[in-house]
Amino acid sequence: MTASKLTRLEALQAIATEYPSEPLVIALGTMVREMLLSTGRQENHLYVLDSMGLPPAIGLGVALSPAARHHDKVVTIEGDGGLLMGFSTLATIGLLKPEKLLLIVLDNGAYAATGMQRTAAPALDLRGVATACGIDAYDVATMDDLQAVLRGSRSVPGPTLLRVVIGPENRQAPYFLPDPVELTLSFQRYLAGPVAAA
Amino acid sequence: MDVFTRKPQAIIAAVPPITSELGVDAKAGVEERSQALIRGIEHIAPTHVLWLPSSTLKQVIEHVERRAGEGAYVSLPLTREEEGIGIAGGLTLGGAKPLLIVQDNGIGNALTALTTFAQPYHLPMLLIVSQRGGLNEYNSMIHTLCERVDDIVDASDLRFFKLDERVPTERWATTVAAAWEHAQMTHRPVLLLCNLLY
Repeated sequence: MTASKLTRLEALQAIATEYPSEPLVIALGTMVREMLLSTGRQENHLYVLDSMGLPPAIGLGVALSPAARHHDKVVTIEGDGGLLMGFSTLATIGLLKPEKLLLIVLDNGAYAATGMQRTAAPALDLRGVATACGIDAYDVATMDDLQAVLRGSRSVPGPTLLRVVIGPENRQAPYFLPDPVELTLSFQRYLAGPVAAA
Repeated sequence: MDVFTRKPQAIIAAVPPITSELGVDAKAGVEERSQALIRGIEHIAPTHVLWLPSSTLKQVIEHVERRAGEGAYVSLPLTREEEGIGIAGGLTLGGAKPLLIVQDNGIGNALTALTTFAQPYHLPMLLIVSQRGGLNEYNSMIHTLCERVDDIVDASDLRFFKLDERVPTERWATTVAAAWEHAQMTHRPVLLLCNLLY
């Protein structure tokens, strides 16, 4: 009997637990909604409400910004379909080598938010692609391995890509439809730090 | 030697702008306008300059690379236009002031990112966009999109300003600075459509 796969919710909980106060850029759709189920709304989370394929580029920008100095890591959480849509950003990450960037790909081989249509990810060696781009890359499929790599990545200069194999389960979660300006202001205040807020 | 064995430069040189035959030095115009854009860029002092290759903005990009080598700012080659919007957005969130340099024949790639991320999240950024197509354009494939970019950008509810033969060259640098300020003041992306060719 094989162990059941990690769920998205379990993976997101593990990430949020390991990085409770670092910037987290979270991809649209199911990823955002299940993170909200897990942690509620957090000031250090940037919720990307659309713009599929863009979160790795957004995370890269934050990791290159002055605000990144205050944090061990800038964590970006993307799906396999989103990663493929902005695939060439792996080359840019490899070129720029942002030490703070931790890119986590939750890979279920499907586009969850639109009805679980299949992606091309099962045909690819995502870790191999990332490695070829000059990014330290890891594959994990268990909670123990996920927690170990999350913990280990904190003190290791990136860029790092962590591919997490997850199962097909999607949790029922309400839509999240705030005015995006609220999200910008909240995340900017958080990034600016307590000194700027005082 | 036929066209298939000639170097690309030789093919381009064989098709001079029509205005050259009438005594107008189009090359000098590109040079003069490039220098004006460079003066504008130096005035606004961005922290990061993100660019895609452009034959008409070649001198500007060479200048950016040289100045980045001197530590004036970070110069960052992109793989696609939408990636640039994502990275610039992340940089802006983290307190940096990015400038983008792209061609208008790639503006279609940027539209989704601009209209679903930079615009609704109120992220100021300036895009210097070289205009192709129209008078003095040598590439017959480029007119269909490029001659309609003004309309496309306008229909997308994105703010843009124009630099072309109707604007005296001595006003180009000040327009770059003013467009940059307009983006900061309105908390929105601003496109500066620049025609260096006619």
